[in-house]
Formats: sequence, C-alpha cells, structure tokens
Amino acid sequence: MELTKNITLGVYLPGETIIHRLDPRTKIIAATILIVMLLLSRSYIAYAAVAFFIAMIIVISAIPMGYALRGLKPMLPVLLLMWIFQLFLFRDSDTLVLFNWWIFEATEAGLHMGNLIILRVLFLFTVTTLLTLTTSVVSLTDGLENLLNPLRKVGVPSQELVMTLVIALRFVMILAEELEKIIKAQMARGVAFDQGNFIQKTKKIFPVFLPLFVSAFKRAEELIIAMESRSYTGGKGRTKMKTLHISRADLTAAITILIFTGLMIYINIATEPFI
Amino acid sequence: MSLSVRKIVISGILGAIAILLGVTRLGFIPVPTPAGHATIMHIPVILGGILEGPVVGIITGAIFGLFSFLQPGAPFFADPLVSILPRLFIGVISYLVYMLTIKLNNVLGHLFTGPLQKIKASMSPGLSGSLEKLNNYLPLILGGAFGSATNTVLVLSMATWRGYLPSEVSISIGVLHGVPELIIASLLTVILVKGIQRIRTAEDKN
Repeated sequence: MELTKNITLGVYLPGETIIHRLDPRTKIIAATILIVMLLLSRSYIAYAAVAFFIAMIIVISAIPMGYALRGLKPMLPVLLLMWIFQLFLFRDSDTLVLFNWWIFEATEAGLHMGNLIILRVLFLFTVTTLLTLTTSVVSLTDGLENLLNPLRKVGVPSQELVMTLVIALRFVMILAEELEKIIKAQMARGVAFDQGNFIQKTKKIFPVFLPLFVSAFKRAEELIIAMESRSYTGGKGRTKMKTLHISRADLTAAITILIFTGLMIYINIATEPFI
Repeated sequence: MSLSVRKIVISGILGAIAILLGVTRLGFIPVPTPAGHATIMHIPVILGGILEGPVVGIITGAIFGLFSFLQPGAPFFADPLVSILPRLFIGVISYLVYMLTIKLNNVLGHLFTGPLQKIKASMSPGLSGSLEKLNNYLPLILGGAFGSATNTVLVLSMATWRGYLPSEVSISIGVLHGVPELIIASLLTVILVKGIQRIRTAEDKN
C-alpha cells in the first residue's frame, strides 16, 4: 500500500525543443483546434492529414514514440471490442453485406464506422498526451488562466476557476498521504481489503471513505480561514511573477496551425464521408 | 458573478478527491460484468452539489471531467463531449432533486400531519421510528441516486450519439453498471453527508 509512490499527474517530459518552449497558450489553442477538427472529420483522407501533422509534432518534440503511445496499451482490448461492436451492430440502409453468419451481419458501413471511430479515439488520445508530455502542469494552468482572462469581461470568474484547479492538483498528493494512513489504520484493525466477494469488497470502502471526506472537509475549512485571513480576493488586479510572452516560434506555430486548419476544412468539404 | 473563497476551496478539494479516486483505482469497484468495473468517482461531485450548491457541483464536475479526458479510463473518454460535458450536470441534478425532495417532504408533511399522526399512533414504535428515519434520509438517497443516474445516462447517451457504442451495448452497460453505481452512490451520499454535517455542527458548537 504505497499510494503516494504510484501517482503520476501530468506525465511531463522536460525538453528543450521548439515544441517544449512554445507558449502554453499556443499549445492549448493548437490542441483545441486539433481536437475540434478530429471531432468533425469523417473521411480517411482527413485522418491521414491529422496523422501526418501529429507525426511531425512527435518528431520535432523529440518524444520517444514508444513513450508517447505507452498509455494506449491498456485500452487496446476495449478498442478492439468497440471496433467489433461497430462492425456487427452498425445499421445503415443499402450497404454492402460483407459476411453473414447466424445473427451476425458485418456490413461495409459498419466496417468504415468502426475504423473511423478507432482512428478518432487514437488521435484524440495522442493529441492530449502530446500536450501533457510537452507542457508542465504549472504552465498549463498559467496558460489556461491567461486564455480565460477575456471572459472576465462577461462575468466569468476565470482566475478563481483556475484557482480551484490548482487547489485540486495540489491536494491530490496531500489527500493521498491521508488516504494511505487511513487504509493502513483500518488494515491494522483487521480489515482485509483484498478479500471477499463483490459485496464484501464494496462494504469495505465505507470505513475508508468517511474518514477521507471528513478530513478533506476539515482541511478545506482550514484553507478557507488561511486564504481569507490573507485577504484573498480572487483574480482582480493580481500580477504575476512570471509573465507569458509570445515569441517568434509561437507565430510560426500559429501560422502552421492556421494553414493546417484551412487544409482540414477544405478536405472535409471536398471529400465524401468514408473516403 | 464572483466566487467566494469557500466555493473555490471546496470545489478544489472535492475535485482532488475525484482525481485521487481515479489515480489510485479506489474509485473503481470490481463488478462482475464483462466490461470490468463500476465507478464511484462521481461521488465527490454529488456531495459538492448537495452540500454546497449547484455552482460547486458544476466546478467539481468540470474537474472530474477534465481529469477523465486527460487520463481516459475507457477509449471513448478521449472525446471531451463524452468525458467533460455530461459531468457538468451531475452536481446540479443532485442539488435540484435534494432540494425538491426536502420541499415536498415539508409540504406533504404539513398536509398529512393529521392523518399521519393517527397512523403513527397505531404503529409499533420501531416501525414509526424507521419511517421517520427514511423520511429524513430520503432527500439524500434520491439526490445521490439521481446524480449517479445522470452520470450513467448522459455519458452513455453521449457515447451512443457520438457513435462510439451501439445503443444495445449502451443499454446493457447502463443496466449492469448503472444500477450498482446508483445503489452505492445513494448509500455513500447518506453516510458521507450525515458524517460531514455532524462534524460541522460539532465545530459550530465549539
């Protein structure tokens, strides 16, 4: 039971490449554009273009390929299952039946649907992984705060919202230690967490959850008092020790992503689905 | 709109618990179904909605959703429309159901005071006691149950609508996972809210 050792939040791989040094805002916007493009695309050519673009980013950022795709491994069985579901259960009128056995009927539309969905999920996963691999959590939250800032004008408390995210990330480790203590204390009292059937195992989470939540709420009250006594008033008029700057590399990246967006829009308009 | 320090801190810490349950796998309960496990990672979101109101519910839900988007447990959570959007509603629905049940309880309590007293007098003290208890817990049970159902139904409908799962599969996952999740969520909501409220009243007295 060494909970704190196994926790990895945001698997940042430090590096000195152009991608690493880009402004976090540029990277967040680029990732968002890529995600939206992926959600809208329905043709193989569009996915091929995205694959090429992502491959370029992986090469430039010098991230070991195996490391970038490591997180995919546990998902492969479920991905395969999703593909099979689509192949046999996707229903569409006037489509070619590939083969037919008992109640199973594989259609051509189902095959394409399955392929596209697997590709979409794979690329979405790679885009978010690339973002977290090349950007530290600190600069991600910094960039997010900065990007949300214009929303203050319409009344969205952007800096406060990012503050909740920062508190959450900070407290994961603190509460993990707490959780470890609670689990050890219950084990010392004779609770065997890894034994029993489903219902017995479920019952054992109750004596862990209650102390965890109670202690979390106590810590919350302490933090509220600490922040209020230091006159925390949210983001209004706050300055930063490190300010973000747009560099020449950011401009190049912005132009590249704009050209790519244009290309993707053209591909999606010009091609039929499933081509 | 501005957020009080209290809302910021409590959303943050509840979000931390949701992330913690995810990274330690403690939030996954091994249910004997082909798909593997039921989740209780949405419990902090339900608690946020019930204890602190809809705003905290939405923010905690957003943190939970963002986490499951960045470290997806199932492939289709890589789509933000499946992982983030549905989670914003869990806390709100829990809060609304909880408040509505309390209101109904009050109204019906007043309406039926007379007849209920008569029936109560004829009941054994044990039975009337447990009836009272059930009445006390009902808002929490329903709040937890509806919050959990919101998560199951919205996530699976979104996954179906986006084309990741055929509807037959979604429905069977919904029943096999949704029902145990719903039961565990409503039990945990009662226990955790009552526990936290007891600590709070004890602290207020000091």
